Formats: sequence, C-alpha cells, structure tokens
Amino acid sequence: MLAYLIVSGLTTGSLYALMAIGLVVVYKATRVVNFAHGELFMVGGFLAYTLHVLVRIPYGPALVAAVAATLLLGLVTERLAYRPLIRAPAISLVLAAVGFSYVLRGTAREIWGGRGDYIPFPPLVGAEPIAVGDVVIVPQQLVVLAGALVCMALFGAFFSWTRAGKILQATAENPRAARLVGIRVERVYAFTWGVGAAAAGAAAALMAPLTLIYPDVGAVLLVKAFAAAVLGGLESLPGAVLGGFAIGLVENLAGGYLHTSLQDVSAFVVIMLVLVAHPSGLLGAARVRRI
Amino acid sequence: MPTVRRFSRCCLLALAVLALPAPAALAQVPGVTGDTILIGSFGPLTGPNYLFGKLVMNGVEVVYNEVNKQGGVNGRKLVLVREDDRCDPATAIAAVKKLIFQDQVFMINGGGCSNAAIAARPEIEQAKVPWVVFAAVADEVTLPTSPYIFSTALAASLESYAQLDFALSHGAKKVAIVSQRDAWGRSRYGPLQEAFKKKGIAPVADEEMPADANDGTAQVLRVRQAGADAVIMLLYPKAAAIFVRDAQKVGFKPILIGQTALSDPLAFREQVGVPGALDRFFTVNQMRYTPDDPQVEKWRTLVQQYFPGDRLSVYNLFGIGSAQVVVEVLKRAGRDLTREKVRDELARLTGFETTVHPGPVTCTETDHQCHKTPAWIQLVGDKIQLVAVTPVQR
Repeated sequence: MLAYLIVSGLTTGSLYALMAIGLVVVYKATRVVNFAHGELFMVGGFLAYTLHVLVRIPYGPALVAAVAATLLLGLVTERLAYRPLIRAPAISLVLAAVGFSYVLRGTAREIWGGRGDYIPFPPLVGAEPIAVGDVVIVPQQLVVLAGALVCMALFGAFFSWTRAGKILQATAENPRAARLVGIRVERVYAFTWGVGAAAAGAAAALMAPLTLIYPDVGAVLLVKAFAAAVLGGLESLPGAVLGGFAIGLVENLAGGYLHTSLQDVSAFVVIMLVLVAHPSGLLGAARVRRI
Repeated sequence: MPTVRRFSRCCLLALAVLALPAPAALAQVPGVTGDTILIGSFGPLTGPNYLFGKLVMNGVEVVYNEVNKQGGVNGRKLVLVREDDRCDPATAIAAVKKLIFQDQVFMINGGGCSNAAIAARPEIEQAKVPWVVFAAVADEVTLPTSPYIFSTALAASLESYAQLDFALSHGAKKVAIVSQRDAWGRSRYGPLQEAFKKKGIAPVADEEMPADANDGTAQVLRVRQAGADAVIMLLYPKAAAIFVRDAQKVGFKPILIGQTALSDPLAFREQVGVPGALDRFFTVNQMRYTPDDPQVEKWRTLVQQYFPGDRLSVYNLFGIGSAQVVVEVLKRAGRDLTREKVRDELARLTGFETTVHPGPVTCTETDHQCHKTPAWIQLVGDKIQLVAVTPVQR
C-alpha cells in the first residue's frame, strides 16, 4: 500500500508542480498571480484531446502542439488582460485575470462542453498493472510521472542555459536594471506569460489520461498549484517543484493512512505549519530589511 | 327618443356583460385564461448543469405541445414559461418570484437542482402555487410535506435505501460507502446511514471522495483493505469514473452500485475508459427506459422534431413523465380550474402510469414523494439492460 500511495502521490504531485512552475514564472516577473492559469490548463487539456482523440495525431506531437498553442494563448492573455492594466493597481490585474478565466471557461463550454459533462482521454499505455513483488506499478502513472519530470527538466534547462531563459530571470530579478541594459521588458513580460501558460498546457496534456477533462477542471487544480507555489516560496522554481511533490504525497498518505476525509485538508494543514515556521516557504528567500 | 333608445341599448349591453360569469371568475385565477394555462418552470438553462434544466424542460414542452395539438386540457392550451436558475439558490429565488408575481403562472413544473429548489421552496409555498418537481431529488425539496409541493423525481433518500437493498439482495456481506460530502452527497449519505442502521449492519469502510477528485488511489486501497464485496458510490460521474478506474488498476472488482447521477452507463463506460471495468456495475435509473430503447421511439422522434439537433436523453424523459402527471391532474381538476383543485387532485393521484416511469406514480395527503420505484440497470455489451424494478420504502 505504501509504495502504491507514494507512486500515485508523486505522479499527482508532479502535475501540481508543473502547474505551479507556470504560476511562479509569471509571479516572479510581474508580481501578479495569474488567476486564469487554471483555465489555461483546461484549454491545454482540451487542445490535447482535440488533436490526439479527434484529429488522431499521435500523443507526442499532440502534446507539443497543445503546449505551443497554450503558449500562444498565454501571450494573448498578457495582451488582453495584463498589458492594458500594467500600471493599474494589483487588484485590477487580479480581476482582469479572473474575468479572462471566465471568458476562457465559457468559450470552452461552447466548443467542447456540449459533448457531455466530462470528456475521457484514452490511456497512453496498457491499463494492466505490473506486480513487482508486493508492489503494484501502474504503467500509466509511470509514463505520466516520467513525462512530467522531462518537462520540468526542460523548463529548468531553459531557465538555466538559454539566453531567453536568462533574460527572463534577469527581468524577474530587477526589471529596471534589465531595461537599463537594453532588455525590452514588455516583450519579456509577454514571453513570461507565454512560458507560464506553456507549463500549464504541458501539465494538462500529461494529466488528461489520468483524469477527465471538463470546462471547470482548472479551478480545482489552480488551488492546488497555488498551494504548491506558496509552499515552495512563491518565487522559487525548485520550490514550486518541491511544493507540488509535497502536496501530492501528503494528500495520498493522509488519505491512505489517516482517513480519506483528511485528504484535501491535510496538504493545507502542512502548508500552514510550514508557513508558521518558515513564512517565506520551503525555498523562498527570507526578506531582510536593512535599517 | 333616440337618446332613450340609446340609453336602453346601453343598459341591455351592460346587463349582458354582467350576466357572463366566466371571465370574472377566471380573472381571479392567475395564469388561466379562457384558452390558455400558463405553467412556469425553473432550472439551469445555461452552464455545466443545463442537463437538469434545459433538457428536462424540453421533455416537458414536448408533452405540452402534443397535448396542445390534441386541443389542450379541457379546452385550454398549455404555455410553458422558462426561467434560468443556473443551479444557483439566489437566482432560483429570483426566478420563482418572477414566475409567480410577474408572469403570474398558474402552477410550476420545474426544479432541476436540489440546492436551487430548496432555496425556492419557501417562496412557492408562501404563494400557494402548486409545484410539481421534475428533477431535484434532495428530500428537503419535498420534506416536510407541504400542501402544494409534489415530486415526480425519485427522492435521494429512497435511492439510498434502494442501493443498500440491492447490495444485500445480490449477496453482498461487506458493503462499503464511497461518497462525496457536498450538499448533494449528504442528502444521500444521511439516509444511507439510516438504512444501514435499520438493517442492523455497518459499512465495512466509509470513505470520502471530493466531486472533483483526480485520484482515487487512497479510497480504493482503503476499501479493498476492508475486504468490501460491494461498494455503494454516492458520487458524481467524474469522481465515480476515477474511483472505478483506479479500482480496476489494482485489480479490485467488487459489486459497484451507482445511483441516478450515473444513470447513463454508456457515457459512464466512456468516462471510465477501461474495458471490463463495469462488468459488476449496477445503477439506478429514474425512468423505466434508457434513451435508446425502442419503447421510447415516439419521444425520440418528437424531441428531434421540436428541438432539432437534440438527441433524446434520460433528462428529457424526466420532463416527459413529470409533464404527463401535470396534464393528468389538470384534466382531473376540470374546466373550472383553481390552484386548490390541482393541489387536491395531486394529493389523491394514485397508481398513475406515465409512459416512462418504472412504476405507478402515487401521491397521498401525507406523502408527496410520488415516485417510489427505481429501475436497476446494467450494461451488457453495448446494451443497457433492465435488471429489476423494485418498489422501495424507508
């Protein structure tokens, strides 16, 4: 039971982590929590479904195309909901993102909602579990976990080793200094929203075979991803990954060993305890003010 | 002389008008004219829950249209006025206020979502408007019994009792519960606990699963560890699909017992997406027939005729059965229609057979949950088979 709960928790946690990465990327650069992030995830899932199931494109290319399309959608979000309000109070930006999330949800309902409440995504590999001694391994979960880890590695490599990634990080650290050295900050912001959305798209395309897709799926996952990001420190990409895995594991272990009624609440109890002990999150830098 | 003659004519005309009693009487009955009866309906017409409103109302309207084609009820055509409550309690209150006070409907044939219907109940009760509930199943909609409120939907508590009866009648010795504990889930979970107590047994596992769960691993492992041979699922389709899928992954195959939220096994199989996962799955259907049954060919054709692009669904059938009850009581109430007469006719509707309910619809003075015969169905191959129709009692 323990091994199975851990594998399952890590799989779900990896998807929370991917979503949290998207939130953190946008927050680091713009100081705005993108409340439309869940809906970008949802659109990513529906796009993967459309390409893989309806258009019958193989899963790999469908995933890449869904990620690319959500990246574009992220750019559109930035153009419509963020850039016009760039100098407005933070609350206006939050409201704009919430409004845009409703637009996306309504649009998805118009396009895909009529097909039924919940749309299934076919499994990527055989459904039969493999027994290794006492441990039962479900191939589907391993594939999704591996896919999520690869995506995280790619995001990590992008931020650490590519020029675009470094520009993003530099702008996030200090937009004024970035502008002084010739970086076109507005363009970077747009790209940031795109990259954040792409992370949500990747998470959705990977999660789709494990769950069902419906226009409201993003709202629940946004809460979990936000919790993961906060747990990790909100500004730390490794923290978001750690937070996602931690939430996935805590949920499953609490559900399995304590009671299933504690599954949802357990992760938030842990977050509360962590934040009380370490207010900046697991890997967040403590804010020090010199007097 | 001409003035006197004109005056006499006016007096005669006035006397003639006064001698006509009908319009004066009708004017006192809201929503009823010489040739129409205005019937209000509320439920979700938009949003993710439109199935429980829009589709049910489409079924209602099909019946009303057919009755109107035959000349109406006692010479009056039935006119349906729809209001969207989006399954939202506050919106439902506004919707019924509009129906009662602005549109001045004679009666209501509606109520798609339980929470919204519960919220709307006091307004309808206070206005003393007869209300035939067509889809909302929470007991709080019909209990405590109100003189003007009746339901043609199978009450949640009755379904819970039926689920346990079904498990035990199929030889289950260790029954587990997996439930979502929102308002919908609690309206079933409480009665299910009562049913267990009345039988003198306890569930071997009692697990919670959120309606929007993406992983049912913990629930599956706990229920399996408890050795359950039957699992009563008080879950919406999404959570139920995740639970069944995850149970299949670990090779756990108990009898799976659903309820009306899972009354479309074909759609449910598609959502589960694992071959063979529903081999031991049984569920409740509020109606005797599934939408693809040849017995409902007439309704399939009519739904497509009146609502091009729609395919007959089980939700249309809810509306069809409910509307047939409304038509019957309006007929029995006679031409000289009042709300009190309709209320009284509803209260003595005994053994009325609609063309879609599994058993007779029976209301009494004290029991306004008029549908008490769940149909049990199972998916065999690609066909939905009727397994049993068993009247249920608390």
